[in-house]
This record gives sequence, C-alpha cells and structure tokens, in this order.
Amino acid sequence: MNRTLMEKIKKSDFSDKISLIIALIVLVFVFSFFNKNYFSSRNLINILVACSLMGFVAIGETKLIIANLIDLSAGSVAAFAGVFCAVLMQMGVNPFLALLLGVASGCFVGLLNAVLINHLKLQPFIATLAMMSIVRGFAYIICNGRAVPITNKTFISFGTWRLFGWIPLPVIILILAFLIFGFILKSTFFGRSVYVMGGNPYAARLSGLNPEMITLKLYLITGGLSALAGALLAARMNSGQPTASVGLEFDAVTAAILGGAAFTGGVGTLLGTFIGMLILQGFNTGLIMLNVQIFWQNVAQGCLLVVALAFDYLRKKDRTKKLLEESKRTIKS
Amino acid sequence: MSSFLKKEASVLDRYVEFKHIDKFFPGVHALNDISFSAKSGLVYAFLGENGAGKSTLLKILNGDYQPDNGEFSIDGKPCHYSSPKDAIEDGVSVIYQERQVILEMTVAENVFLGQWPCKRGGKVDFDLMNAKTYEIAKRFGLEINPDEKVSNLSIAHQQMVEIMKAVNRNARVFAFDEPTASLSDKEIEILFNIIRQLQAEDKVIFYVSHRMDEISQIAQKVVVFKDGSLVGLVDCDQVTDDDLIRMMVGRPLGAVFADLSRNETIGDIVLDVRHLSTAKVDDISFQVRKGEILGFSGLVGSGRTEIMLALFGLDPVLGGEIFLERKRIQPQSPAQAIALGLAMVPEDRKIQGILPNISVKGNISISVLKRFLKMLGRIDYSKEDQIAREAIEKFDIKTPDAEKLISQLSGGNQQKTILARWLETDPKVLILDEPTKGIDVGAKSEFYRIICECAKLGMAVIVISSELPEIIGLCDRIIVVREGSISGEVLRKDATEENVLKYAMIDQENIEGEIKKL
Repeated sequence: MNRTLMEKIKKSDFSDKISLIIALIVLVFVFSFFNKNYFSSRNLINILVACSLMGFVAIGETKLIIANLIDLSAGSVAAFAGVFCAVLMQMGVNPFLALLLGVASGCFVGLLNAVLINHLKLQPFIATLAMMSIVRGFAYIICNGRAVPITNKTFISFGTWRLFGWIPLPVIILILAFLIFGFILKSTFFGRSVYVMGGNPYAARLSGLNPEMITLKLYLITGGLSALAGALLAARMNSGQPTASVGLEFDAVTAAILGGAAFTGGVGTLLGTFIGMLILQGFNTGLIMLNVQIFWQNVAQGCLLVVALAFDYLRKKDRTKKLLEESKRTIKS
Repeated sequence: MSSFLKKEASVLDRYVEFKHIDKFFPGVHALNDISFSAKSGLVYAFLGENGAGKSTLLKILNGDYQPDNGEFSIDGKPCHYSSPKDAIEDGVSVIYQERQVILEMTVAENVFLGQWPCKRGGKVDFDLMNAKTYEIAKRFGLEINPDEKVSNLSIAHQQMVEIMKAVNRNARVFAFDEPTASLSDKEIEILFNIIRQLQAEDKVIFYVSHRMDEISQIAQKVVVFKDGSLVGLVDCDQVTDDDLIRMMVGRPLGAVFADLSRNETIGDIVLDVRHLSTAKVDDISFQVRKGEILGFSGLVGSGRTEIMLALFGLDPVLGGEIFLERKRIQPQSPAQAIALGLAMVPEDRKIQGILPNISVKGNISISVLKRFLKMLGRIDYSKEDQIAREAIEKFDIKTPDAEKLISQLSGGNQQKTILARWLETDPKVLILDEPTKGIDVGAKSEFYRIICECAKLGMAVIVISSELPEIIGLCDRIIVVREGSISGEVLRKDATEENVLKYAMIDQENIEGEIKKL
C-alpha cells in the first residue's frame, strides 16, 4: 500500500466530521470559560451517563436512517422494557434472565415493526407510530399505571456499578456498543448493504441483496438496543416507570442528524452520531451548569438542529458551486 | 395582461430569439453558444440524441434553468425568468411528456388551474369556467366534457387538457417535449391537428421528438443539436432522414455496426425457456446459445422487459419451465438468479441501477463483495480496490478516482459502471435492457464493442432495445414480442426495419378496437 498517512487521514471519517469536531471543541471551550468545572473527567462521565440512554437508541436510529427507515417506537420500547424487567424481578426472576427477557421484548417489537413494513407494506413512519402507541399502552397495562420499584441489588448494579469506582457500567456498554456496531456498519457486508438499501432499495434488490431481511435485522437491533437502554435506566432509577423516556426516539434522531445522517438515506456514520450526541448532551449539561432554566434546553436542541443543517446546506451549496466553476474552467480550456 | 396580449396579436412577425446561450452542469457543457431565432406560424422540431441539449434549452425557455451566458427574447423583449411561474405568466407554455394535470379535478378546474375565476364573496365561478372550457374544446374540435374528472379521460385527452390549459392562459409560445411517447397513432393525429390549429393562430411552436416520421409530418424547420451545440437549422422539406441522422450523430450509424468485431463461433444452448407464462406474458419459448447475441424487439409495454423480470426472479412464474445448461431452474429472487449465473442490467438506470450515494468502487463491487470476506465478516478492502481499479481501466470509465460518487458521473459512465458490476459476477447469461438509453453516440459504439466482447467470452447475451438500427446491427437473432407473446423471429441476415416492425405492430383490427375502448 503506497498511501501516505496524510491521504489516509484525509479519506478517513474524521475529515468528514471536521466541522462537527470543531463545534464540539468550541462548545467545550465556551462552557469551560463560564464554569471551571465543565471541562473535567467527572463532568464528562456525567455527560456520558446522561446520554447513555439516548445513545443506545441513536445507534439503532442511525442505521435505520441510513437505510431510509425510522423507528418511532424506541422510547415506548425502552419504557416497556424497564417496567417489564421490574415486574419480572417482583415475580422473583433471576436479574440476568430478567435483563435478557427485557431485551428480548424489545427485539419482539422490532420483529413486529419489520413484519408491518415488509409484509403489510406500511410506511415505516406509520408502522412504528402505531407500535409507539401500542407498546406505551402495554407498559402502563402490565404495571397498572404505577411505577414498579426494584429492590434486587444485582439488577440495580447494572445501572450503577462503576469500573475502578469511576466509569459506570452503562457508559462502558454504550461505548462498546458504538465500537461494535460502528465496525459492523463500516466494515462488514451487512453494513455496506445498509447504505446500499438507503440509496436505492430496488437497485439493492436487483443487485442480489434482500431488503426485507436487512429491514428485519435493523429493527431487531434497534428494538433490542432500545430495550437495553430502558432496562439500564430502570436499574439506575431503582424502578420501572411507564412514563419514562417519552420522546427518546426524537432525541436519538436529532443526534444522528446532527452527526451527519441524511434523512434521504444512504449517508451517515456512527462516529458522527457519537459526536452529535456529545454536542447535544454537552449543550444541555452546560446550560444546566450555567443555571439556565431547564425549558431552554428544548429551545436550544431545536436551534442546534436548525443551525447544524443550515450550515450543512450552505457548505454543500458552496461545494456544488465550486464544482461547477471548476468544470466551466476545464471545459473552456 | 389580456389587453397587452390583444395588442400583441396584431403585430405580424412574432419571434423567439436565442442569443449565445450557454449552460453548464458539473462536468458537462450542456449548451454551448446556442443562437437562433424562431418565427411564429411555423413548427420548429428539436432533434438530437438524448443529452444533446434539447430538454435543457426547453428548461431555460420555461424558466426552470437560467442560462450561464447569453439570453433569449420574445418579440424583441429580453426574458429573464427566475422560475416557471414567470414564464407561464409571460405566455410561455411547455407541454411535457409526463402530464401535469391533477387527476382528481375536473377538466375545467385543470384548464383554469391556479387561476380559478371567483364570484363576489370568493366563491369559485364554475359556470364561467365550464363555459370557457367548452368554448376552447370546441375551437379545437375536441369532444371533452368540462365537468368530467380528468382521471376518467384517456391519456391522450389528458394531454389535450394540458394544451387547453396553455391556450386558456393565452400562451404565445408553445413547446412540446416528446408529447407522443405514450400516444397511439390515432391519438397522435388528434394532437397534430391541434398543433396545426395553434400554428394557424400564429403561435411560436417548438416540438421535441426523436421520431423522424413525426417530424416530417408536423414540422417545417428542424433544429439539430449535438453534444450541447447547435449543428444546423434546416428546412424540413430540403433534407432527407439520412442527412438529419448524419448531422445528429456525426456519421451514419451503419458504419458503427459494420466495424464491430463479431463472435463467429456460436456454441451450445445455454438458456432454454419453454412455455413461460406470468401475469404479463403468455407462452414464451426461446433459446439462447453460448456466444450468441439475441435481441428482443417490440413496442414499449409489449412484455419484453417482463419476460426478463420473470427469468430474474422478480415476477412470479405461473407456468412453463426454464432450463440453464440443461438443468431446470426456478429463481425466486434476484439473489438466486445471480447465484445461478444470470445477470441483468436493468432498463431504468436511475431507478433500478445506480446506488446513488455510493462511490464508483462500491457500485462495482456490490455484486461480488460477499465472495471475499475476511474473518468476522470484514470486507477485504484491498481486494475491493483492485477489482474497482481493474474495471475502471478495462471499461474506460471516466472518473477522477474510484471513490467518486457515481451520481457525479455522466450517463454513459454510470451505465459502464453498472455493466462492470455485472460482468464481475462472470455470468453465463447477460441480460441488457435498453443498454444504451440516454447515452451519447461515442459511448454507444463503445458499448456495442463491449457487448460483442462478452459474446466472444462465451456469454449468452440478451439485448432488449427500442432502437431498431441498434438491434438489427448488433444481434445475431431477433425475437419480436407483441402484447405479451412472441410474434416472430428474424435472423440477422434477413433483418430489416420493415420486417421487424411488421411483427411488432398491432394489427389493424386491434387498433380499431383500442380506439373504441377510448
């Protein structure tokens, strides 16, 4: 391989994400200026803990968005899985088995989503909208609408145990998940087919891929990850709450879009989503540390999205213009 | 507005003048210094290959694009439209091949689209609308009820509604963009009568088509485009079809085919289809041999493509058998068909072929990527690079590097990339559906060369094409499909446009029947 290191870096994902990374650095710099505690490992961990829930879902949503799909039921699945685990524990089920069953419940919802989309040909938006409502309903039904306390120490430790007394378990799992799914998306055949499908599903089929199978796998993954997030949240909160994580899927989608995933499909990376997620949560945490009223978080999140996409649009427009100028010059000469 | 137009109508010589129009797209000089003027009362046909610039010029005329250099004027007044809305308000109407009518509205509502007359109080004046629409229909001798929902009309009549819309807006310039593509002969006659009526009303008329016979019927002037440049503006009655083709192509097409190095040794039967039936085709039987190029001709919609969809596992097979090298096969999906050794380059490159968000490399390797995965299912990047590099070289795909997005290449190079994707699978049977549609002449002859190479390598090649010279020049044998069945077979030595067409056309009784249905 005669590629130089510079070329390698140029072609790597980092160069694409350069404006995002700069935004992140600026953000850290500005908030550190106002509050000395902002740039500390402790606070970084806090930020990661705060976004661990959204992070798992964002992994799933990123893949779905790349494949031109979406899952609106993720927040409901997380809530259901949390309550479901808590109820199982009350029944005396082993905490590990309860966690497994919780995740399985999420995969089951994913399966239903895929069936609705593949076999009843429902639009992904509509199919998962319906599931969002149905699953949320069941989350209330299995606990009669009341939060279910969790007392099992082992299960609680899933959400609170810290490596070296420092990094909490959910953060470790989240980072592992990003690495594993990042690898799958970037370097495996399955990952490549996700991009292909988002660009042009019919051409994907004609190329010998199986779009239905890809859809199924993606929803299984997203369902499972959402449920895992919900179970870990329940462990951290010592209870399964049917009202938990409303709108979680939208936060996750926001992170993915901030990270460069395109709603038209075919474009996006997990590295981008990870940075997008850090920016989103870093902003929120920063606002809290500056004692800004909490409602401003919503405003900030929306503005961030608009600014990011507007910036992206202007950059693309500029690039097209340059391309045009270039071809004008070369053609004339 | 209307009083202004009335005054204009008395001026005799109306004209549209294009002055030094240039238009660039990334990598393409779409229009190169176009200058000519068109007088009212004549029909100007735009002739040229796909991508020669005809449609781009129309899009500049209707305000969809703005020229990078130059300008055009109508009746001496320069026009600077920033959107199609400006053009429409200024009296320029383009009638597209895809009709822009609202199916769920009535004829009259469509004719007045966006300009519905209102009574006092804001209520739409349906009576006035219907009366005016009836008047226009009568003027053109059309039997269309203003009250009818457009979705109930035939395709031809829907197009007439489109024209009535333009007439109602008092348009002074009419441009037709391949209006006859989906019309039957009888319907084309209706359209031509309307165009002649518009001509008599002293409008400026542009007519884009690549059917020679139509142009000689309706046009007085022909504007010939080639690769974005205007190569000639000639009187229709002073040139022959051959002259026009030579202007369009640069050389007679026959020469391209005469120069091809053909495969002389045709081997055993590779694909044997017996009595194949699907929902769209009936009792199809044919064979293709090793090294043979078999052509499928027939009108669009005759079922040519549907036969291939069935072979490729996309349309369910209802009856009959398919044998590949004497073994019976029943592919249920493209994945299975590919595994068996079939490959299909589909008809519509944009919808069915390219993976737009992926690089040239990814577009080539996708069909074979699965064959060289490393541990943990990782893609072998160096192998992928190698395949892409070799294919780019072999097929002379013009791209700065393999990482470039395929959507940024020209049509011909996109098509070569897709062909490369399929040839990587080393197919036994290669199916090409309209392989040269929308690509320029240079790329076309290159394509013919590649197709002949494939035959020499021992593939059985099936080519579907609407272009008769192409299918006659390229194929060893031609099967003609009509209304879902095979209507005839012509050998290369006997093939002429006439005898292929004879099998392709619907017989006279059927035409009458079709018209009654309309």
